[in-house]
Amino acid sequence: MFHPKKASTMNPHDRPMCVQGDSGLVLTTDPKPRLRWTVELHERFVDAVTQLGGPDKATPKTIMRVMGVKGLTLYHLKSHLQKFRLGKQPHKEFNEHSIKDASALELQRNNASSSGMIGRSMNDNSHITDAIRMQMEVQRRLHEQLEVQRHLQLRIEAQGKYMQTILEKACQTLAGENMASSGGSYKGIGNQGVSDMGAMKDFGSPLNFPSLHDLNLYGGDHLDLQQNMDRSSLDGFSNIPNNDNICLGKKRPSPYSGSGKSPLIWPDDLRLQELGTAASCLGSQDDPFKGEQIQIGPTTMDRGTDLDSIDIYETKPILAGDAMGEKKFEASAKLERASPRRQPLSSDRNNPMMNTGGMPQGRNSPYG
Amino acid sequence: MAMVVDDTTAELDFSSYSTTTTTTTTPTTTEDDHGCNWNDWSPVVDWGALSGDNDDFHDLIESMMDDGGGLNPARAVQEGCNSLSTDMMMVDEETNGEDFKGLRLVHLLMAAAEALTGVNKSRELARVILVRLKELVSPTDGNNMERLAAYFTDALQGLLEGAGGVHGKHLIGNGPHRDDHHHPTDVIAAFQLLQDMSPYVKFGHFTANQAILEAVAQDKRVHVVDYDIMEGIQWASLMQALVSRKDGPPSPHLRITALSRGGNGRRSIGTVQETGRRLIAFAASIGLPFSFHQCRLDSDETFRPSGLKLVRGEALVVNCMLHLPHFSYRAPDSVASFLSGTKTLNPRLVTLVEEEVGPKGDGGFVGRFIDSLHHYSAVYDSLEAGFPMQGRSRALVERVFLGPRIAGSVARIYRARGEEEGCSWGEWLAGVGYRPVHITFANHCQAKLLLGLFNDGYRVEELANNKLVLGWKSRRLLSASVWTSADSDFVN
Repeated sequence: MFHPKKASTMNPHDRPMCVQGDSGLVLTTDPKPRLRWTVELHERFVDAVTQLGGPDKATPKTIMRVMGVKGLTLYHLKSHLQKFRLGKQPHKEFNEHSIKDASALELQRNNASSSGMIGRSMNDNSHITDAIRMQMEVQRRLHEQLEVQRHLQLRIEAQGKYMQTILEKACQTLAGENMASSGGSYKGIGNQGVSDMGAMKDFGSPLNFPSLHDLNLYGGDHLDLQQNMDRSSLDGFSNIPNNDNICLGKKRPSPYSGSGKSPLIWPDDLRLQELGTAASCLGSQDDPFKGEQIQIGPTTMDRGTDLDSIDIYETKPILAGDAMGEKKFEASAKLERASPRRQPLSSDRNNPMMNTGGMPQGRNSPYG
Repeated sequence: MAMVVDDTTAELDFSSYSTTTTTTTTPTTTEDDHGCNWNDWSPVVDWGALSGDNDDFHDLIESMMDDGGGLNPARAVQEGCNSLSTDMMMVDEETNGEDFKGLRLVHLLMAAAEALTGVNKSRELARVILVRLKELVSPTDGNNMERLAAYFTDALQGLLEGAGGVHGKHLIGNGPHRDDHHHPTDVIAAFQLLQDMSPYVKFGHFTANQAILEAVAQDKRVHVVDYDIMEGIQWASLMQALVSRKDGPPSPHLRITALSRGGNGRRSIGTVQETGRRLIAFAASIGLPFSFHQCRLDSDETFRPSGLKLVRGEALVVNCMLHLPHFSYRAPDSVASFLSGTKTLNPRLVTLVEEEVGPKGDGGFVGRFIDSLHHYSAVYDSLEAGFPMQGRSRALVERVFLGPRIAGSVARIYRARGEEEGCSWGEWLAGVGYRPVHITFANHCQAKLLLGLFNDGYRVEELANNKLVLGWKSRRLLSASVWTSADSDFVN
């Protein structure tokens, strides 16, 4: 039932949404805005109804007064009250259950097909229970998938981080060997480049990791951003700050663009193509784990704890942001490394795609 | 898909093999044909694969597979040997199809394999064919099929030269010194590339780790005995997951015992010690209580349970990664001693990752050989499909990992004369009394998400309730299965 590849079809963003400030109302941007009954909003609605003596006594007008939510109209309340009266019992059950799954529910509700299902079931009392049950099952699974997705990302990151320490060790070894054999000449090292490390150049700077954005089943928040992405702007590798922003919402980095600036990329991912460059290795010899605790700790804390809708919606941007933040931090902290590490990117002769950016070849590149 | 069979068919008759490649049109086998294995398919060449600019040799070989049993390439080649190359050159020129070259390579490899071992055994013929093959292939240049064929050619050459001799023995051994052929940084670079280009490694590790996490969710102390720890890459993600788990006691104490071997390869004591240091540093960096131990295997790689230090109250997990692409071959006796030895310790969980081989059939050596060709062509294709422009990277991965694997695999098949060493390790585990443990939804889901990160074409299927299989298109490549000791109180 679940295909990550189909993320975009599973999550049709047929109607762009906007959140209205502090009231938390979620409205479509249609000329005639439709309202998303978020769980919170629905809870307030139920509270108001209860306060007013039940669904049969409450009227849209009184509810509107009691709820006091800006932007909520009689039109919205009327239709919601109607549904509420029709499906009161199951809806309550559904509501109770879903409190802790609020975010999953919300995601679910944004899913056109399932809200269609809800809508239909609301008007058909005899099927309500089944529909809700089904709904809850779907919800549970979605929730689980989200958890799995989050964990997977952390695991991949952890593995990547660990792999990096292995690479750094290899880098040191190689540098040592080259030092011994060539007397430490920078150029000499680059040219000697013992093994076939140059093969890594195929990948461009961050080894092209598939993007976790592919995992992004639901959060299409930055879809617009993605659509505005101009592929050509991605080629400007040297323009690092811009590139980061651009890549934030990039749907699927092409294998050629080398732009795997996804949350999966360790910010100071060791670029293997520079393993031959002793200078680039020296900066990080001391403690391979330096600074990493900082990242993993908070990451696990933040992501591991509770699940509210904001968290879910913003999982991608937050993570991407984290990674980018790290990257910038790294870049500034290790300026002496930043430059040679990124230059060889566009100097790959084997890969014409890589050169389309037309960026001047870095002189630091042993291959340039 | 209705195919028009055109004149190329007639031209193919030159190849001497077309006696079985009938001209019948056939529905093209679809990649999404879940649960279908290639032996079930119609035994005719998939002409679709030959028609266009399709350079998917994996499919090509797939379409060829069933020719293996019926035809007798050796005799055919004997009859048509002299005209073979010229005829095929004609085909090549006229159709300008890379596919035809691929097809020819497959035919030649099959013929060589047949000549080497078949009823009409002729070492001389095999030698001639191999000479011809070597003219056509190179492990570093050319397309996928040419590079793949190069390794298989080498493997056959090794058998020809060394049937019983030193060279053959070396191939069969594929032992601890294998890695020494490559510069250590080559190995690391290839390892990194392999991980980034394909889901094979992560699939095995993450599926096993997820099962471990679920099995020890309520434990304060976890002890993993790892048969083949290598660089220890599997454990970083488990550590991370353990410190961040929400259920159960937080930050349990993890102990890993790695088995080490003699020699100086990637499994030597030195390497394992280094892995231990690295793991300790990593665990410290994320605040996980951790300790690391080694357990030396006997000189013949036999495992003795008495070598393990066990602590009462620990959840014992046995981890056995066998055929990940970057792993070299482990002697079955050693694996068996490990799995049966740990059985006596009543492990909570056994995680097993192994290669999937095609159905056994009665193809003998040639059948197994072609299965192996099929297997590795799928791997090659999967890498190429995802990273078409990164030929050099793929060549590195192929040279460091896949090439030696092919050589070892062919040599073992040869030694076993196609009899194969019996069942899969999963079946073996069931045979000695391990019980399957269900793969959870979360685990299955994780595998799917993981594959979603890579190019299209990979798929995961739940072959049994305790087994996930990773495949490329229709070919099953790697399986991860989860088991528990029958005496263990762990109930899934």
